Amino acid sequence: MRGTEQIHGVSSLDASFSESSNTQRFPRKKLFSLGLPQRLILFVLLFAAEWSPITHSVHKGRGAGALLQIAIAFSSFLVALGYFRSKDSFQRISNQVQKAPIRWGLLAWHLVALGAFLGLSAISSGNNPLGYAIIALWYAVGIAAIALAGWAFVPPGLALEFVRSTGYAWVYALAAAVIAWRAVVFSPLWHGAVWNPAIDLSWKPATDVTFNLVKSFLHLFLSQVVADRATMTIGSPRFSVQITAWCAGFEGTALMLVFSIAWIGYFRREFRFPHALLLVPAGMLVVWLSNALRITALILIGVAGAPKVAAGGFHSQAGWIAFNCVALGFAVLTRHMPWFASRTITSKGISAGTLSSIQPEHAMPAAHNSTAAYLMPFLGILAAAMISRAASSGGFEWLYPLRFVAAAAVLWFFRSKYLELDWRFGGFSVIAGCAVFGIWLGLDLMAGTHPPSAIAAGLASLPSPARITWLVFRTVAAVITVPIAEELAFRGFLIRRLTSADFETLSSRHYTYVAVLVSSVAFGLLHGDRWLAGTLAGLIYAVAYLRRGRIGDAVVAHATTNALLAVCVLLGGKWDLW
Amino acid sequence: MRILGVVLLFVGVSVLASAQVRTPEIDLGSAGTAIALLSGALLVTRARRKK
Repeated sequence: MRGTEQIHGVSSLDASFSESSNTQRFPRKKLFSLGLPQRLILFVLLFAAEWSPITHSVHKGRGAGALLQIAIAFSSFLVALGYFRSKDSFQRISNQVQKAPIRWGLLAWHLVALGAFLGLSAISSGNNPLGYAIIALWYAVGIAAIALAGWAFVPPGLALEFVRSTGYAWVYALAAAVIAWRAVVFSPLWHGAVWNPAIDLSWKPATDVTFNLVKSFLHLFLSQVVADRATMTIGSPRFSVQITAWCAGFEGTALMLVFSIAWIGYFRREFRFPHALLLVPAGMLVVWLSNALRITALILIGVAGAPKVAAGGFHSQAGWIAFNCVALGFAVLTRHMPWFASRTITSKGISAGTLSSIQPEHAMPAAHNSTAAYLMPFLGILAAAMISRAASSGGFEWLYPLRFVAAAAVLWFFRSKYLELDWRFGGFSVIAGCAVFGIWLGLDLMAGTHPPSAIAAGLASLPSPARITWLVFRTVAAVITVPIAEELAFRGFLIRRLTSADFETLSSRHYTYVAVLVSSVAFGLLHGDRWLAGTLAGLIYAVAYLRRGRIGDAVVAHATTNALLAVCVLLGGKWDLW
Repeated sequence: MRILGVVLLFVGVSVLASAQVRTPEIDLGSAGTAIALLSGALLVTRARRKK
């Protein structure tokens, strides 16, 4: 019986989990035992994180940006070429790299070198022997900073062995890196969207392409299009916008570049090479086109009589909506394209693959997909939230009921799966919910004033029936659908999924500290500037859930908190709590 | 864990990409919702294939 099972408490979890469970054993990996590709990613992220804040202070005239860009591009190309040229050697060396620890001491020296590099940037150098010496030292220190970081992640012996095993790939990698550095097409990505959006994001030809695309699309819908290339203003006599470099498509394209490369890289066994590499520019192109469509739709919304919506919610949401659609389409559709995929999924099942080592998989009906049952209600709320925000003006989501409807529809669709869960709850869950409510209000008071909520003003502009309807949906969603959806996603799914990939066979009382912490932080981050209160709430709901392994306990705790907050809002007028 | 890896990498880079300014094309204020939605949708689509 569930109620009489011994509780796997937070404090006793790890020991009891690894020792007493006969059916669930989870090999623990060392936290930083990473292979070659993962360490290259760390290398890139490290420099990106360092470069972003110091870029304004680095002496540009001496070629600092080029030095770093070529180093990163060269490393990336070398690893990619090395992998395709000699997969066995790559895997062997990657395994050896995995056993080698990251050298934190060298990373500290790297920071020292970077500091010296920054200091030398501040010293002006003239055309004299001292100036040349400063420049030479500046270059030496910069190269040392790069080398020390590389050494920290990959031992020099293994790096040399890898380079040797790839033959002349390093020559090609160097050439490709130089071409990428100089290539015009990458220029805005290097200098703008990826590295520093605040500067140099003004590649006029690319912005012109977006301008022309929007103009062409608008001609399909409007009889009279106003387009002034000098000011990049486009629209109709009634409503027009200015297409600046900020919204020309660089950011979405850069994100797609990262996403597509990461996706193809991680799931490389499912793709045919080199065919699949074409998907990267194709994805970027589609995102670019989608951005032009976004601007077109924005103008049409403004022309249709909703300029506040166009410039407000739609402006900020449509970019992500478009990107999400393209990225999801990329991930799903590419697996169905025989020319790109090493195996394809058809309506009759799996077609013959080119990689015999891959075991066949079968698509299952959505209603039987446990991951979908746990996640879809929450995803439905998120999707509805993006749509309702896109349709809002001035921050008030008049379409909020859509969130309730979306969650309710998904919950109804998967209702048979939910019957398998334990929905019982105890008094502890109500106490936990009250505790979260107290923490939430306490932290809110400590945080001081929040930005004024747009709800009060938005509701005041609605007629009474609409106002009451909105409040009813908002309250019912807060107390019923939101707790169910979020607890299914964060406690029911994420904690167990982070504990084991085979989460379905995992007891709902088994967990790891990391899983609880990560799921709680993720839950907190989704609460914006109340991330701390959200994280603490996530931890308490997790305790309520894991105490007896009942999703009902977590849902009731969450619903209690939200109900008390709703009372504060409705009776106390504290709209900023919503 | 591969999807989580993709998502973590993607989150990191997107945060870096949007770190300096809040631009209308990819609004950082909406990033949390958007990335959660994308990563969840990817997890669901990958899970549809039963091994």
